[in-house]
Amino acid sequence: MKWLLISSALLYLASFRRPIFLVALGAGLAYLGSRGLSLGRLPLIGPQDTLAFFSSSIGLMALPFIYSRGVSSGRFFTWGCGLLAGLFALMALPFPTLNMPLPPILDIFWFELHVALAFFAYALFGLAALLGALFLRKGGRQLLDLQYRAALVGYSFFSMSMVSGGIWGYYAWGTYWLWTPKELWTSILWIFYSLYLHLRLKGPGWDRGFAWLGILGFLVTLFTYLGVSMLLKSSHSF
Amino acid sequence: MLKKAYETLTSLNLGLWLMAGVMLTLAAGSFSKAGMASGLNDMPLLFWLQRAPLSFSWWLWLCVIFIAILSLNAFFCSIEALRKKGRSIAPHLMHAGFLLVVVAHLLSSYGGFKQQLQMVEGGSIGFPDGEQLLVERISAEFGQMGMMSAYRAELKLNGKVQGVQPNRPLFHKGYGIYLKDVALDPRPVALFEVHREPGALAALLGALLFTAGNLMLLVERKGR
Repeated sequence: MKWLLISSALLYLASFRRPIFLVALGAGLAYLGSRGLSLGRLPLIGPQDTLAFFSSSIGLMALPFIYSRGVSSGRFFTWGCGLLAGLFALMALPFPTLNMPLPPILDIFWFELHVALAFFAYALFGLAALLGALFLRKGGRQLLDLQYRAALVGYSFFSMSMVSGGIWGYYAWGTYWLWTPKELWTSILWIFYSLYLHLRLKGPGWDRGFAWLGILGFLVTLFTYLGVSMLLKSSHSF
Repeated sequence: MLKKAYETLTSLNLGLWLMAGVMLTLAAGSFSKAGMASGLNDMPLLFWLQRAPLSFSWWLWLCVIFIAILSLNAFFCSIEALRKKGRSIAPHLMHAGFLLVVVAHLLSSYGGFKQQLQMVEGGSIGFPDGEQLLVERISAEFGQMGMMSAYRAELKLNGKVQGVQPNRPLFHKGYGIYLKDVALDPRPVALFEVHREPGALAALLGALLFTAGNLMLLVERKGR
């Protein structure tokens, strides 16, 4: 079924029109569905499954935005979302699939909820960065409002992911908190978006700074997701 | 002068700088190999801070100081905002949730407990009040590839047998007994961890309060 993931990646990269984006998303979701059916669980462990899940999360979370009236340059934005989702689908391809059952410590509802919500949040932070870039290029208050919405909903998903992760940790390890690089960077990401949301209270004078912060936030997101797993030793490593 | 200090303490700018400070210290800590590898997860935080050399723990001291001032900032900011009529309570529920989570960490940092025990079948764990927990049986299941797919221990406490397995600990008098690993050869042996996490309930309540405030905020901002 890997052809579904390849098709999804290629279609995303060519998604200058919304119908192509929808077909790419459909292919990505079909791939995840086929993986889920063969494994009997959500495909959420190992780099291939998580990158494919992230790609589809971007596609799914982008839907309300690409159909939003606030995005005047719709085609460019749709392609930007497709590029982002397509790149992560491409990154998933070289990795082997992990077809083993979930290790006993991960076999709990709270783990699946924790990971799925985190990827929805990461996806929304990515979209917020795209909207920030579009604002810096073209201007328009509506784009900044959309960026705020994407970040706020992403922050809400991320907070709930941290809560479910804490509950899982308490049942799995006896504590809701461990001092590991992943937990530290998760907290950094959460505080970063807390700062971002508070910065809005400073008023319109900070609009450009706000847009830049939305872009920087996605870099922090990528380091939290990929950088920590690759560069630092952590309980969350691949 | 007191008024000026209070205004500074409740200011948004101070909150933003403190958040930046917490992020920077946590980032420094994540790259500190000495800090991460020096038993930080093996003892309550306050004990670790008292014992670890400052060259290991400087980032955590700074982080604790920033979080302490940030907590005061969030508390007084909410008090000031709630004094004014017509304000939404959603952000302040989120502040209250955050403050409860900070209190939870404080409780666990002082009263937390963790100990690993390797037990064979027939062995027992003694509680401080003299109660004994007997390891009755240790078992495991293996998958097609020979990997251990599930494991379990049966523990007898006050005449009642209860199963413990990954993600299903046994809670007793404020302690959690967690099964971490088992081996069946040459004879069944299990690795247990006994935890006490006094901040767990406050953390859960804080998380629920924060989530409630967050959902309220989402509903309020919908369509704006």
